[in-house]
Amino acid sequence: MEQVEQNKSPELRSEELVVNMGPQHPSTHGVLYLELRLDGEIVVDCRPHLGYLHRSIEKIAENRTYIQFVPFTDRLDYLASMNNNLGYVLAVEKLLGLPVNERVQYIRTIIVELNRVGSHLVSIGTFAQDLGAYATPLFYCFRDREKIVELFDELCGSRLTYNYMRIGGVQNDLPPGVDKIIKDFIQYERKKLDEYNELLTYNAIFLSRTKKVGILSKETAINYGVTGPCLRATGFKWDLRKEEPYLIYDRFKFDIPVGTMGDSWDRYKVRLEEIQESLKIIEQAIGAVPEGNPVAKVNKVYKPAAGEVYLRTENPRGELGFYIVSDGTTKPYRNKIRSPSFSNLSVLPELIRGLNVSDAVCVLGSIDIVMGEIDR
Amino acid sequence: MFRPIKVFFLSALSLLIGMKVTIKNLFSPPVTLDYPNKKQPMKKNFRGMVDLKPPACVICYQCIKICPTAALFLSHKTVEQDAKKKNEITKFTFNAELCCFCGLCEEVCPTDAIYLNQMYEVSVFSHDDLLSIDLMDPKKYKHLDDRTVNQPEPNPQ
Repeated sequence: MEQVEQNKSPELRSEELVVNMGPQHPSTHGVLYLELRLDGEIVVDCRPHLGYLHRSIEKIAENRTYIQFVPFTDRLDYLASMNNNLGYVLAVEKLLGLPVNERVQYIRTIIVELNRVGSHLVSIGTFAQDLGAYATPLFYCFRDREKIVELFDELCGSRLTYNYMRIGGVQNDLPPGVDKIIKDFIQYERKKLDEYNELLTYNAIFLSRTKKVGILSKETAINYGVTGPCLRATGFKWDLRKEEPYLIYDRFKFDIPVGTMGDSWDRYKVRLEEIQESLKIIEQAIGAVPEGNPVAKVNKVYKPAAGEVYLRTENPRGELGFYIVSDGTTKPYRNKIRSPSFSNLSVLPELIRGLNVSDAVCVLGSIDIVMGEIDR
Repeated sequence: MFRPIKVFFLSALSLLIGMKVTIKNLFSPPVTLDYPNKKQPMKKNFRGMVDLKPPACVICYQCIKICPTAALFLSHKTVEQDAKKKNEITKFTFNAELCCFCGLCEEVCPTDAIYLNQMYEVSVFSHDDLLSIDLMDPKKYKHLDDRTVNQPEPNPQ
């Protein structure tokens, strides 16, 4: 015991060690490079380095017409392509003052919420994988997500980069018999969520790895601009679907799940509960889809009047904002994208200071970043 | 003293509960496919390689204009046939390295001449084979077609 106390004394402190975690590391969810300064096992400081996946999407937007840019939004947060499509399309519609019919709004709501479920399933699965629950929970989550992806494949012909939303509508109408497929999926998924609770949520080993690890306070979260499940896990009730309802979210009954402490377990739990809430929204929307023609033609040239618009939507990872400046031509003058993962990642050094290296991986997994939208 | 014992038994209990889930899934039918030996047909509007029906094309250049990555190239010339002026395609190529498979060209085409086919196994040995695929050539995807359509023989073992 005495020896341990001696090691902690300032004279015998060991030298700091710099460990380069990434850019090719299985737990960094893409090409993220973390420069960790270690004192033994303890993380003293952390600096995330970005830029390995930079494709200058914002600059590309300045050289494309409004319709041509939709496929590029798929490549931002590639796990929630439909939500990105929606954010951009809503911003352009607001710029043009273009009304869309009821059927389009219902279809968009259903599809976007399904994509949210799929995205959260991936985040839960990869989080468990990062903690060392090797492959089993990840594959269960991917098995469930496959049902959503199959539906999207039938809907728009692609499994990852959907390019489904159009300015003033959508690409295709819902295929026949889709009501039954989605209702079956909701029943199926609710049963599976109970399984995840047994397998992960209340597992003693999982709890000891995630409880009280990486505690994010409400003040820090707001100061850093953290949004999405990470913010709600701190106990702050903020969801744009309730606060600034876009689409038709004000017509549905759903709750905003919040955490109590803001630790890694709360972030995980909020995502799991958000799946339940999304299923509730889909269940209410699928029975009430009105008749109409949702398909929008793409060979129309849009020329919005000079002006600017900012619109934010609730993505699975937080607030996605599009700031579009038009100069009256067919191409935007500027397209600034506010991506949720970027702000969520910037709070990482605050969270992992003083933790073990293994807990740093746990915190990074619980924040659930996607490098595609951080580097853009 | 008692805490480690308590933690040990709690963890063992959680493991058993988790095992219940995995064992239940162990006896459920598999959800995966024995891929190279068995293949699933693609969905009806799957977006594969860009393909063309040359007689249907009216040379309106809509697909060239809408393409976000400039993966298509088209040029034409005017020829006189029976004292009538007629447009004829001289070159129509497709760069599969640039293509992002968004399907916009298929949507704008007024005569459904250009479309995205069902091919999904599109890897080749050389970059040059993808850079300018001649869409006017009916045998352009012959080497890919053999792999996609013909099912391999089941493994005798």
